[in-house]
Amino acid sequence: MATYNVDSRGTACPGPITDLIRAYRKAQNGDEIVLVANDPGAVPDSKAWCERTRNQFMGSKEADRIFEITIKVTGKKA
Amino acid sequence: MKKIAIIGSGAGGLITSSKLAKDLSKQIRNEEVSITIFDRNLEQEFQPGYLEVAFRGTDPAKIIRRVEGLVSPGVKLVYENVEKVDLADRYLQTEGSKEKYGFDYLIISTGSSPDYKQISGLREDNMDFHTDAYNSNLIYQRISKIKSGRIVVGIAGLPYKCPPSPNESAFMLDEYFRKQGLRDNVEITYITPFTRIYSAESINEVIEPIYEKRSIGSVTAFNTDYVDTDRKEINSMEGETLKYDYLFLTPPHKTASFLKGTEFSDEDGWVKVDRRDLHITSYGDSFAIGDTTNLPISKAGVEAHLEGIVVANNIAAEINGMERKYRFTGRTQCSMETGFHKATFVVGTYDKPVEKIEPSTMNYMEKKVMEKIYWGSLHGHYEWLFKYHFKEDYFQD
Ligand SMILES: Cc1cc2nc3c(=O)[nH]c(=O)nc-3n(C[C@H](O)[C@H](O)[C@H](O)COP(=O)(O)OP(=O)(O)OC[C@H]3O[C@@H](n4cnc5c(N)ncnc54)[C@H](O)[C@@H]3O)c2cc1C
Repeated sequence: MATYNVDSRGTACPGPITDLIRAYRKAQNGDEIVLVANDPGAVPDSKAWCERTRNQFMGSKEADRIFEITIKVTGKKA
Repeated sequence: MKKIAIIGSGAGGLITSSKLAKDLSKQIRNEEVSITIFDRNLEQEFQPGYLEVAFRGTDPAKIIRRVEGLVSPGVKLVYENVEKVDLADRYLQTEGSKEKYGFDYLIISTGSSPDYKQISGLREDNMDFHTDAYNSNLIYQRISKIKSGRIVVGIAGLPYKCPPSPNESAFMLDEYFRKQGLRDNVEITYITPFTRIYSAESINEVIEPIYEKRSIGSVTAFNTDYVDTDRKEINSMEGETLKYDYLFLTPPHKTASFLKGTEFSDEDGWVKVDRRDLHITSYGDSFAIGDTTNLPISKAGVEAHLEGIVVANNIAAEINGMERKYRFTGRTQCSMETGFHKATFVVGTYDKPVEKIEPSTMNYMEKKVMEKIYWGSLHGHYEWLFKYHFKEDYFQD
């Protein structure tokens, strides 16, 4: 199980989702993607993307207007 | 003698060389400064014109110019590609050569190009208008033979250049088949890995109703995994399949191969630069601009141009012993044709989110003006116009 750390600070829509999708292409089921962004839109956008792709939105934390979003890759066809 | 090396004679490399040649004309005449562009291409193409060639049958010769006619006096051309850059020791080497070309300043503007290795099967069946004028022309010839069938168009992977271009191709295909009276025989479906038809919500609000009105279907959050050319199916990473007869997908893009694995690029080869002055992080006299940077903005000619102005200004100022520093604003401006002589624009900066701009004939005309002035703009002839148009977004100082 690998963790992909994706730093999207300083980017706004669609930057964080672009970075997330790029990391997802490399990831396997069971891996985690940790997306760090300062665009508040990244949280609902990642949530919506997870729902649509059957990946798991594990949660988001906020500190000093930086959002850390954790996603578990579960949607890929085995 | 200060040696300035530019890698790539595309949109970014040429405007940078033109502004440097203008600001440093005296020093070039006195042989205190040299500017050299490295690129094996003898010709350049107006890439936004690929859409017109592929979907409207425009003569490809109209969007091609010889590079020698695009450079300003004083700029030298070396028609060779670069295969190695050593930023610490300040030299580059061209393909197959052991000779070390030393430089005092370096600008990398090597663009981006389709990467078919990421999606198996895609190259075989795809009609790709992101490669060159010749292939775009072949697409038009193939479209002319389509009388009915299922068309799948859209984004196969990220990143790619010109974010609106996949949507434009959907609108232009719709227009083409309507004009032929064949639209009812042709199903058009747009696919995208984003959760919206256009990634930025403001533009999505503008174009979603047009998709509905024109009966262009859409499948969002679709991550293309591979294409099965025998079964004529696109397979997503999540196990969905989509049938197609004709494919017009925008592939994910890659950087020039010599950038991969260097200490100054990220794991995919995109060059790590400062988002304001474009210097390659940790090297103050080397820069990268345009598509090849890892900046989280559109890969588009407008960015390459405005970044080139910032870099050229700052290098010339330093050589002239001046303090004046420009800073790039992140300004983007990509036109999106919505068909039937209308267009919208995707406009934003680092600090301002993408605006909502309704499609109009005026916008379409503005796009056409850009086509007319493109080659002259590489010479720097229209900076007065861009300054007026972009206002505070032209650069910060
Ligand atoms: C269909 C389509 C529509 C588009 N529409 C728009 C639009 O409406 N608006 C907009 O702003 N942009 C648009 N673009 C994007 C725009 O064309 C590019 O973003 C722009 O050309 C980038 O400039 P650049 O200098 O980074 O790269 P390029 O212009 O691509 O130039 C790169 C150059 O580097 C050279 N090179 C590569 N490797 C090497 C090497 N190893 N050594 C030496 N030279 C090398 C290449 O030969 C090339 O000449 C569109 C592109 C496409 C394909």
